[in-house]
Amino acid sequence: MASRPKAADRPAASSLLATLWARSSRVRTVLTVLVATVIVWELVCRLLALPPILLPAPTLVFVDLMKSPDWILIHTGYTLFATLAGFALAVIIGIALAVGIVYSPLLERTLYTLLVAFNSLPKVALAPLFIIWLGTGMSPKIAIALVIAIFAIVIDMVLGLRSVDPDMLDLAKTCNASPLQTLMKIRFPNALPSLFAGMKVAISLALVGAIVGEFVAADRGLGYVILSAQGLFDTTRMFSGLVVLGVLGTILFFLIDLAERLMLPWHVSRRSEAAPAPRHTP
Amino acid sequence: MQDPITPAHEPPYVRIRNLDKVYQSRRGPVPALAGISLDIRDHEFLSIVGPSGCGKSTLLKCVAGLADISAGTIEIDGRNVVAGTPENLGMVFQRDVLLDWRTVIDNILLPVEFRRQRKSEWTDRGSKLLELFGLRGYERRFPWELSGGQRQRVAICRALLTDPRLLLMDEPFGALDALTRDELNFELQRIWLETRKTILFITHSITEAVFLGDRVIVMSHHPGRIEETITVDIPRPRRLSVRETPAFGAYTAEIRTTFERLGIMKKEN
Ligand SMILES: Nc1ncnc2c1ncn2[C@@H]1O[C@H](COP(=O)(O)OP(=O)(O)O)[C@@H](O)[C@H]1O
Ligand SMILES: [Mg+2]
Repeated sequence: MASRPKAADRPAASSLLATLWARSSRVRTVLTVLVATVIVWELVCRLLALPPILLPAPTLVFVDLMKSPDWILIHTGYTLFATLAGFALAVIIGIALAVGIVYSPLLERTLYTLLVAFNSLPKVALAPLFIIWLGTGMSPKIAIALVIAIFAIVIDMVLGLRSVDPDMLDLAKTCNASPLQTLMKIRFPNALPSLFAGMKVAISLALVGAIVGEFVAADRGLGYVILSAQGLFDTTRMFSGLVVLGVLGTILFFLIDLAERLMLPWHVSRRSEAAPAPRHTP
Repeated sequence: MQDPITPAHEPPYVRIRNLDKVYQSRRGPVPALAGISLDIRDHEFLSIVGPSGCGKSTLLKCVAGLADISAGTIEIDGRNVVAGTPENLGMVFQRDVLLDWRTVIDNILLPVEFRRQRKSEWTDRGSKLLELFGLRGYERRFPWELSGGQRQRVAICRALLTDPRLLLMDEPFGALDALTRDELNFELQRIWLETRKTILFITHSITEAVFLGDRVIVMSHHPGRIEETITVDIPRPRRLSVRETPAFGAYTAEIRTTFERLGIMKKEN
């Protein structure tokens, strides 16, 4: 009853390139669409002779980015830090809250109800409040990123912790497993796919939070770059900020996707390869 | 009809008396089991067959101490099963409930991890069990790399790891295709002949119940009751082809007649 590994799993050295080519089909599609968009954009600007203040051509944006790459990079760093700090806190606190909600009926009735109700509030509206509470430094941006991102984590993590096969819990009981063992060895790993789904949404939302924080009050970060360029009617510079922001968001999303692939091979192998449907409620 | 209770001079390993189980649901109480009395002898292979929803899983959960009972008593080896599960029993479900993120061997060792024992002391036994089920060298595989039959074999290895005296199996082959099911029927008999566990085996297949059981308990539903107990007098090891013999057919016909009488199965003519 020997079951041989599928050819795609252990490619011979010679077919490695072919395998990589086959596996990268989604990436190739995305790249093709992106390149095509940029070309169309460039053509539209040139053919219609649009003034850059309305819509700068991609080449202009590229030149602008190359004028002061260090300066852009530093501001990107600020935004990235606020995003990652907010995201990390959202993950840690979110997991803790989810465990509390799943294990305590009291927390479930109070905290969870409150969270779900609170979730329908547009969290960006809280940004001015955080500026008052925390000042204009880094902390209000982190706080806003945290508040926007944490809902996706808590809600998906609660779902994941709950969706355990009841037979599995029965099995644990027949082995006299303690509640802590059941949590650590069954519920938590079982919830990881759900957690990752939440994290993919949360990372984008954390970025939104950081930018909103920078819009409200900041002298640094990509949000500040865009807003200050607007004050000068420097549309090209605004687009520079937007492009970097887009690239940053994409990289962050795919880093989480990659982490999921490395950590949850069992889940990824089962999941359909269809692109995840975007769901956003900033 | 025979009595599901053994003669007094032979103390049973599992002793169930007047067991009632009523579930409280939103639409009121649901009687799942009524007046169940049965014994399972040491080293016995006892099959329970009955229609879906007749309380087979409930009965198993009561024996395992996973569901509290509404009336009656359950004793295992003379000790009352109240709240909490008996010390050492193995359980196999219809779904294999393997943990996808653990290798085969780590899945098998899960029970000793839960019991806070040293895993390293059990690894050898885990590998031996795998070998017994024709899964030698599969230790480092992951469940999602295995077929349904292989996964269920791993689940049985996990149940056998700590060498429990009692093995509870709830339709363990119900989700498998017919060929794999036959294969595992035969393997289970072989393992049982080697280890002589006490096995409570639940199925909704009449053929499977007769093929594997020393005795077959026939249940009916609403609420779950014992209708009939049949002692299967076919020598072991039984080969799969025994199922085509007239003796075997007589047993299955008897059970089928009972189901027809109860209106669980339609009479065919
Ligand atoms: N947790 C529960 N709450 C309420 N009713 C239940 C519950 N579990 C099972 N039942 C009911 O008890 C009866 C027996 O169920 P079960 O033991 O699962 O049957 P079987 O395993 O023979 O198919 C069924 O009518 C079922 O609907
Ligand atoms: Mg059942």
